[in-house]
Amino acid sequence: MAHEITRRDFLKLGVAGAAIAVLAGCENPRRWVVLEPYVKPPEEQLAGQATWYASTCRQCPAGCGILVRIMNGRALKIEGNPEHPLNRGKLCARGQASLQVLYNPDRLSGPAQRSARGSRQFKAVTWNEGLNTVLTRLQAAGQRVAIWSGSTTSGHLSDLFQRFTSAIGAPAPIVFDLYTAYHGYHLMQSTNQRVFGQPHLPAYDLQQVDLILSFGADFLSTWLSSTRYGVEFGQFRKQPLGKRGYLVQLEPRMSITGAKSDRWIPLRPGSEGSIAQAIARLIADRAYGSPDRVGRARALAGNVDVNAVAQAAEVSVADLEQLARLFGTTDRVVAIPGSSLTGQANAEAAVAAVEALNVIAGVSRPSMEQAASATSHFVHSPVSSFADVQSLIARMKAGEVQALLVYGANPAYDLPPEAGFLDALSHVPFVVSFAPMVDETTAWADVILPDHTPFEAWGYDVVEPLFDSLAISSQQPVVTPYYDTRATGDVLLTIAHGLPAAAAALPWSDEVEFLKEQVAQLSGGSIEGSTADVKWARFLQHGGWWTQTTSTSASTAGNLQPIALTPAQFEGDQQAYPFYLHVSMNDLLSDGRGANQPWLQGSPDVMTTIAWQTWVEMNPLTAQKIGVQDGDVVRVASPHGAIEAPVYVYPAIRPDTVAIPLGQGHTDYGRYARNRGSNVMQLVGAQTDSSGQYLTWSRLRVSVTPTGQKVAQAKFESTVGVTEGFINQAFPGQ
Amino acid sequence: MHQKAIFIFVGLIVLIVIGGMLFFATSQTRAAPIQPIAFNHEVMVQAGIPCLYCHSDATNSPSAGMPSVQKCMGCHQVIATTNPEIQKLAAYWQRGEPIPWVRVNVLPRFVYFSHEVHVVVTQLACERCHGDVGHMTVDQPVVTMNMGWCLSCHEQQSNANQLTECVTCHQ
Repeated sequence: MAHEITRRDFLKLGVAGAAIAVLAGCENPRRWVVLEPYVKPPEEQLAGQATWYASTCRQCPAGCGILVRIMNGRALKIEGNPEHPLNRGKLCARGQASLQVLYNPDRLSGPAQRSARGSRQFKAVTWNEGLNTVLTRLQAAGQRVAIWSGSTTSGHLSDLFQRFTSAIGAPAPIVFDLYTAYHGYHLMQSTNQRVFGQPHLPAYDLQQVDLILSFGADFLSTWLSSTRYGVEFGQFRKQPLGKRGYLVQLEPRMSITGAKSDRWIPLRPGSEGSIAQAIARLIADRAYGSPDRVGRARALAGNVDVNAVAQAAEVSVADLEQLARLFGTTDRVVAIPGSSLTGQANAEAAVAAVEALNVIAGVSRPSMEQAASATSHFVHSPVSSFADVQSLIARMKAGEVQALLVYGANPAYDLPPEAGFLDALSHVPFVVSFAPMVDETTAWADVILPDHTPFEAWGYDVVEPLFDSLAISSQQPVVTPYYDTRATGDVLLTIAHGLPAAAAALPWSDEVEFLKEQVAQLSGGSIEGSTADVKWARFLQHGGWWTQTTSTSASTAGNLQPIALTPAQFEGDQQAYPFYLHVSMNDLLSDGRGANQPWLQGSPDVMTTIAWQTWVEMNPLTAQKIGVQDGDVVRVASPHGAIEAPVYVYPAIRPDTVAIPLGQGHTDYGRYARNRGSNVMQLVGAQTDSSGQYLTWSRLRVSVTPTGQKVAQAKFESTVGVTEGFINQAFPGQ
Repeated sequence: MHQKAIFIFVGLIVLIVIGGMLFFATSQTRAAPIQPIAFNHEVMVQAGIPCLYCHSDATNSPSAGMPSVQKCMGCHQVIATTNPEIQKLAAYWQRGEPIPWVRVNVLPRFVYFSHEVHVVVTQLACERCHGDVGHMTVDQPVVTMNMGWCLSCHEQQSNANQLTECVTCHQ
């Protein structure tokens, strides 16, 4: 060594270090506990004792009941409400993380007005200024007003929006977001109506079946009501007398549900519907099961060449035979059409083909007709189809919309760029957003009148899908609003009072008066009260009102004809775009609305353990062929667009398919979401299915080209050499 | 051999330094912290105000509680309004802000302790644990509230067997 430290030097350094350490120790210590008593305490509040308030989770449209723990006026923890008939005390990661919606540091602290549209420069205004601006513009707009809301909008607000639009003569509000579009809510509803005569989302009863055939339904992750399905799945696996249900999952890329299945069949994307038809055909031909079932199968199966289907789907005929035999001969069975079916070109027929299996099996579903009359005054606004969205966008482009009000939806992020939402927005002279944070759509708003977060706001949710009970889940403020925000219900009522056309239709002085009136009309069910006030108090105390199912409605074969299923078509030439694109939704960021919550960003994805990023899942064979490894950035291009993301080599995916999760690639939406990963919706076009109603997001082929770049992936699994990368990703700026 | 002596010597110095730091750290945290308002307990007690008037949750909650700013202002609207410390209080009230009092007696989170049990059931006087607060100005942490101190009393009770169980405090 050139410069050697002598013993004397070493001792000197040691003494100096000790002196510094002692001096540092003498510094006045900083206490870590600061007590902040109330300025004005609520009555009957005891120090050191938590209060729990029942409310409703708003992280997805399911409507789980929650209990929020409050200490000294601050919300600290969220748990599932054990009394609630939907989630029965359970709660998913998104529900737990929703506290960060409340505490997000990038929330708007009050109303704001833009300086130049899209400049992201807003100046604070008073509520009076904001309300007056909106009122003046709405007075001028007359009936050329449109409202765009999301699927997690409180029922009372949907009700008020509907009353408002119909009073001023505007078209009914659009209810559309990526969550419901991805899972095909509208299609699931209309198929349920057609097959089972029920005008709502179907509920698949898993707790009383022995066999589940799931065609890509990731019901343990985000599909429709995953917390409830988690509860049911537990019962499905642990039945009386040690019986254990058998789950078959058919999907090109293994989801969480696929990982929990007994049999995972990686069929070719787009072949789900024809596989369902082939199973029906085999039940009919081989006479698997009771004569009833075989009879219905013969009526419904249609003319299907089983060998051709098996070959096209790359599933062996023996496997199909086994599935058909299992499905035909098992007493209690259910077949579930998953999300990717609803995004294909033949979406309607594919979903109907799977539902036909339920008809063949004689599955019945709970009927809510009797109970529904008690709650008919509670509005549950049905989700709009993509065709409705397209017609609104066309009206916006034609200048027929003078004012657009956006609540709880983020179409600028959710929709494929080709849908032309931003272009249409430039033709709308006045845009109001009620978002508590500046998201991609709000960035283009002229006025922002921020709503409370759900923890500071009133509301209710008509729980859907309906399982064994009909439930109205209550939502109440559990903390006082942190910022100068205002309930959109109140804002709407205030504005309506200034519009002659709407004043009579919305006479309530505030939204709570309206809500109380609604609750007072409830009869029977779980809450009884001698007076309206008692009923209201119990409605809030228990987390809602519910009633048990009284009857079931069986499916009837008469409602369904043999389904003519055209083969699934994919966009993009096979030479130029050699891979199928599987757009996945994970149970953390879901459709991107979770991206502003660092707990969700930082939680590793269950299947890949990746956090804070977008990634491209690729079979090891494919990765070898292209010459990429974990972390190599690839450019994924479809006929509609291109994104870049690092590869994650994932053995549980077909070699001809790549999968990319939704949720990242935000350009706004706060510090945790912004400029992180890519948005896979950039690859999707605005085409609809053959019925012209639904957005086809799962019919794409893509090309994958390495870019030569490599990034460290934030993941727990095989983290050799990339641990520093994870820390850096998890704590940006440190 | 020579090298070994050096290692032992250096090791000793390191131990002394760490020991000294630990000593300072523990003794310093027992000093009275600097409070946002130099609250005078003695004056209050001499005025005849019982502890429970301000720390009123001690009889029905695990935590004794700190009085709200509103409660302080209940008297100090009119009493001693020219005192600079009271003016600090009034400023907090006018801004609608809580007073960031610094905790004096800290129990770790893994200890379950209930004021209600000690004050109501066993009828202990506040001074028994908190010292003679009535003769202090800013509250002083005169008692080291560690496990040995808790046990020194629990052991002498008639139901000592029960009170010295781990789970009595570490629930």
